[in-house]
Amino acid sequence: MASSPALTAIRSNCRKVICIGRNYADHVKELNNQRPKQPFFFLKPPSSILLPGEGPVLRPNGVNMHFEIELGLVIGKQVKDLNTEDDSEILQYIDSYLLSIDMTARNVQNEAKKKGLPWSIAKGFDTFLPVSGPVSKEVLADPHNVELYLKVNGEVKQEDSTELMLFRIPRQLSDISKVMTLEKGDIVLTGTPKGVGTVQTGEVMECGLRIGGKEVEEAKMRVEVKDKGGNYEFAET
Amino acid sequence: MAASIAVREIKANCRKMAKQELNQHSDHIKELNNQRPKQPFFFLKPTSSILLPGDGPVLRPKGVNMHFEIELGLVMGKTVRNLDPDDTQGALDAIDSYLLAIDMTARNVQDEAKRKGLPWSIAKGFDTFLPISNSIPKSRIADPHNVEIWLSVNGQVKQQDSTELMLFRIPRQLSDISRVMTLEKGDLVLTGTPKGVGPVTTGDVMTAGMRVNGKDVEEANMKVEVEDRGGAYEFAET
Repeated sequence: MASSPALTAIRSNCRKVICIGRNYADHVKELNNQRPKQPFFFLKPPSSILLPGEGPVLRPNGVNMHFEIELGLVIGKQVKDLNTEDDSEILQYIDSYLLSIDMTARNVQNEAKKKGLPWSIAKGFDTFLPVSGPVSKEVLADPHNVELYLKVNGEVKQEDSTELMLFRIPRQLSDISKVMTLEKGDIVLTGTPKGVGTVQTGEVMECGLRIGGKEVEEAKMRVEVKDKGGNYEFAET
Repeated sequence: MAASIAVREIKANCRKMAKQELNQHSDHIKELNNQRPKQPFFFLKPTSSILLPGDGPVLRPKGVNMHFEIELGLVMGKTVRNLDPDDTQGALDAIDSYLLAIDMTARNVQDEAKRKGLPWSIAKGFDTFLPISNSIPKSRIADPHNVEIWLSVNGQVKQQDSTELMLFRIPRQLSDISRVMTLEKGDLVLTGTPKGVGPVTTGDVMTAGMRVNGKDVEEANMKVEVEDRGGAYEFAET
């Protein structure tokens, strides 16, 4: 299944991908993390985006690779110094939605956390952001009431509603835009629920989103996992 | 000093900026009480942080202790993926042009991030936290490992060193980055900062420049004021 022209354009126009961390309570617990007092964010490079039909997610040597299903937003209009908790106020800034998997090199990230290093490598490998969609605002009227799911080899690993977000989208967009202006084309990933875990070469991830129990066809995603090969190998920094 | 057209295009085409931290100079590592890394690591700054010449001051967010870090920047001219660290010519061929950049850093935000194992993206990513000079044609710099970069605050020199002090040289940096993430045409790579980093506050003026063989590189001259950002952000514990 190839990428739609709309999705290909979303990648070309994307200047940054910004992601909230620890935004679902049980996901915070499962990784033995501290629940943050306020949202924090990290960047994934646009070079990590993987479109449908472009092949597998590539696992680098020595990397313990985790999946994290997330609802993504494509920004339609510049956001700067926004300050709102009102769900209806933010719709004007959203162009469309994406389903995305925030692939993460978990052992690289653990080392980064222990040593106070950046997360950019752990989050930024090529192919570490498979996406599907876009899903229009007409179809996805309420982003806080969408069920996300991810299966590995047919077995459900993650399945939860976005209503479980600790910090909702208006708060996320406000907090991001007070630090860095969100530009048209930017992608925002809104956090992952519980159930993250490892995938290996040969495994297949399938994911999607449901509204009112019904599958949204344009969001369905199927991605294989393969070893990257090449000359990167995770070693102590 | 307004931005040249080349630099506006750089801002428009740039999709990411990757920078090697703790790359230059053991003395910069010592001054921040950091560990010398066994291998290079790097972080991203968002393109929204770029501040073009003539586009106003660097804006200090409330509660932020803001530091300057002068750096030599490379603008990539083509896609680079899995570059061999010994491919010196390949590395140089992949560079389209140079620029001078100040990697503004919210030092206290970064300290908290390091302590708590959090990302650096906020500390490095505020709007205006990447003032850059005009574009420096490749022909002006025969050897990027032999360039003197300097930064002054209110006329007093704070940083002044040669890029020959880089711990990991440019081919190694481009190799390390491109084995993780493909570098695309228009991407900006910042190659590390020497010793002498420090705070600036509202009212300070930073000037910066570059010398090759003792001669000023005109295009690299920078002058940036510092002002308070105002607005709704205030640094608080995460």
